[in-house]
Amino acid sequence: MLSEFSAIEGRSPRYWMLVGLFALVLAVGMGAFLAIEVYGHGITGMNNQVVWGMPHVFAISLLVMASGALNLGSMSTVFATVQFKQFTRFSAFLAIVLLVGGLTVLLLDLGRPDRLLLPMLHMNFRSMFTWNVFLYSGFLVLCLLYLWSMFSYKQFTKVVGSAAFAWRVILTTGTGSIFGVIQARDVFHSAITGPMFVAVSLTSGTALSTILLVSTYRRTGRHMDEKLVFGLRNALIFFTLLVGYLFVVEKFTKMYSPAFYDVELWLFTGPWAKLYWFGVWGCCVIFPLMILFNGRWGNTVHGVMAASGITVVGVFAFVAHVLLAGQSFPFDMFPGYQLSSVFLDGVDAVYTPALVEFALGFGGIALSGILFLLGIKFFRLLPGRAVAPKGWELPWSP
Amino acid sequence: MTMDRRSVLGLGGVLAAGLVLAPGMRLVAAPENVTEASDKRRWGMLIDTTHCDAACTACTQACRTENNVSIVGDPQRDIHWIRKVDLHDKDGRKPDRSLPVLCNHCEHPPCVHVCPTEASFIRKDGIVLVDMHRCIGCRYCMIACPYKARSLVYSKPKVPPDANTRVPIRAKGVVEKCTFCVHRIDDGGEPACVEACRKDGGGSMLFGDINDPNSEISKRIREVSTTTIRADLGLKPRVHYQGI
Amino acid sequence: MELLRSLAARIGVAVFVTLLFVLAVGLPANVQAGPPQLEEPKGGGECIRPEGWMRRNHMDFLKHQRGLTVREGIRVRSESLAKCAECHTSHTRFCDRCHNYVGVAPDCFECHLFPE
Ligand code: HEC
Ligand code: HEC
Ligand code: HEC
Repeated sequence: MLSEFSAIEGRSPRYWMLVGLFALVLAVGMGAFLAIEVYGHGITGMNNQVVWGMPHVFAISLLVMASGALNLGSMSTVFATVQFKQFTRFSAFLAIVLLVGGLTVLLLDLGRPDRLLLPMLHMNFRSMFTWNVFLYSGFLVLCLLYLWSMFSYKQFTKVVGSAAFAWRVILTTGTGSIFGVIQARDVFHSAITGPMFVAVSLTSGTALSTILLVSTYRRTGRHMDEKLVFGLRNALIFFTLLVGYLFVVEKFTKMYSPAFYDVELWLFTGPWAKLYWFGVWGCCVIFPLMILFNGRWGNTVHGVMAASGITVVGVFAFVAHVLLAGQSFPFDMFPGYQLSSVFLDGVDAVYTPALVEFALGFGGIALSGILFLLGIKFFRLLPGRAVAPKGWELPWSP
Repeated sequence: MTMDRRSVLGLGGVLAAGLVLAPGMRLVAAPENVTEASDKRRWGMLIDTTHCDAACTACTQACRTENNVSIVGDPQRDIHWIRKVDLHDKDGRKPDRSLPVLCNHCEHPPCVHVCPTEASFIRKDGIVLVDMHRCIGCRYCMIACPYKARSLVYSKPKVPPDANTRVPIRAKGVVEKCTFCVHRIDDGGEPACVEACRKDGGGSMLFGDINDPNSEISKRIREVSTTTIRADLGLKPRVHYQGI
Repeated sequence: MELLRSLAARIGVAVFVTLLFVLAVGLPANVQAGPPQLEEPKGGGECIRPEGWMRRNHMDFLKHQRGLTVREGIRVRSESLAKCAECHTSHTRFCDRCHNYVGVAPDCFECHLFPE
């Protein structure tokens, strides 16, 4: 029924140009890392108020998408969604490359990357970071095993795939909890920060997979059944609704408590309000849904691609908003008092990202990109023709 | 007295490097060769905000010279181990206040909880320290601290010409903060800010062992009403404030 | 198995040749450069540990000492890093010279105010 897996040819000048472009961006990213290493974080836009800047936004977005990239795999292996079975290899591989890209950015943004091995020697098991070290490496191993089993030991696919699925839920909860457990910061602290990250990983991973699948099949002149794209659309709609639901619940719970009036008002109207409304609500929930639910746009591949693109922008906006707004809101150390000091107490922190930070971040994306391009060239990750299984019909269309 | 008697009187009559702090104050002898932090003690501070003048920066100046904390010149990135914060009551009922904010050396320090390498740690006597040799500069501690007590070193620090050779400077890429002048405490002294406040300021800072019920600070904390910053977080900070 | 054994043999040969090469090229070069001229310690007394022991173990000693001081709060003043400076009055002419020779670059003096 399903067609044979085959690597793409990858001999066209277009292909190598794309690889070259990514290599260039990666080289610039490496340059940015070296510059930060030599001159210190003084050349970035970060400061003692906003200590995690663009590199973290890129890194964490990539990590969130890495976990989300496993969606197609989990859907078929764990939830028996037959039409996506042909994309499981692609899905596990994409998860690996995104993870590598994200982790690289995260590690290269350390103040002292020369001491990179120290966390292996001395571990504080109370730190969410230490947990994440294990979660990421475990995820990497599970994805590799998953991939391997799909190639050589089909009988283990179900077990490993299910383990990887459980792991990724914990993993992304862990990523979200890096922020969620921080009681000091009103914007971060919430029990559903973790679940929100999981939900956003579901949407962005599905969206990115859609974009990459459609464009890979188009560019290589292979056939991909439109029905499959619309199947992905339906999944994306479902996940996006979940994101919207969690956003509402979080805001509702916080806004109910007078202690949060100030923060919430500040988030809605303050310096980060635009990012919140357009980036978080707009790109993560409203715009994609407007397209996907629309009877005309939602039934075209272009429409689904556009919505997916917006969703991917949305994950960056979401992470940026949590991170940057979360750090910019001044601490209310003495309730009832207006604070002022030479250390900028009581005022909103200002953060203007520097070019090197973007260079480092895009370097991580480029690393993932190169690995992806080489992967689909050298491994048989994708079916030669992506067709819907016989007898499978779209359950729903707008 | 808040000092380690053993180190005050340790050298008996020799008083090799005796030093007079202020009229009427105690004499400090050169410390013994080997001293050890005691797990019986918990160092703490009491700041009487009613005697803290908004214009006075004796404590912050003293800290800078003692610990070689240089000013970078960029307010966003200057490093502050201790800073003066001015408070203005939003309702205008309570008087304006000015007070120093420094690391609170919490009993449950969130910075230590989140540090992946155990670079931030609690010493036996309750002082929260950063082990500069182990800090990888991930800055998670700065995210977790509700007092903004920590700063990252953004560029290669200048060595002040009159640098205090007893305290290492810090290199770029590590996170630093108040140490309660741990080197002075180990020598039987008290933090530089407290000393400066008594000499040149309003005498509003009191330092001592809050585990010892007979210490001056313990008595004061029992007698007057004090608060800590963000007591709601349950971190049990050891810097107490009076008068707010 | 056969494959492994032949692989191991080849790696062995490769390592041996490389070693020979390093010895042939590297050693004379170093001998020519001569051992570094270290500054005489001031005061001329004894090092705080026997000299030979110190030469071999000072790194572990310093790291042990710093763990003790910083993390345990146990200060041994006669054996602190600052104490070294009382006799070894320059890190550029003492520690660094030797380190450059053997090719290690500890970052201690980025922070520790040791006399130049
Ligand atoms: C009382 C003075 C004194 C102090 C303090 C001292 N040293 Fe030494 N050190 C010496 C002397 C003398 C030598 C022998 C040098 C020689 O004979 O060339 C020596 C030798 C050494 C050597 C071996 C040099 C060689 O030529 O192989 C090292 C390494 C060393 N010291 C490290 C240290 C360190 C590290 C400290 C601090 C913990 C320290 N020393 C403290 C006096 C001192
Ligand atoms: C006689 C030569 C010599 C002298 C003098 C010397 N060292 Fe070393 N040092 C070495 C060698 C050799 C190593 C490398 C050991 C290794 O590779 O494990 C080393 C390593 C170190 C290390 C560990 C570096 C690392 O990367 O782990 C430190 C710290 C250190 N030395 C400090 C000092 C200090 C401080 C002084 C001056 C007081 C000094 N050394 C003087 C030879 C010397
Ligand atoms: C990022 C700055 C930094 C670097 C780099 C650094 N130190 Fe330190 N070191 C400190 C600080 C801060 C202290 C605490 C001083 C105190 O408590 O008195 C300290 C304390 C020490 C102590 C105990 C105090 C003393 O004087 O004996 C030793 C020993 C020590 N360091 C050795 C080293 C060695 C060896 C290296 C190089 C491998 C090194 N340090 C690199 C900042 C640094």
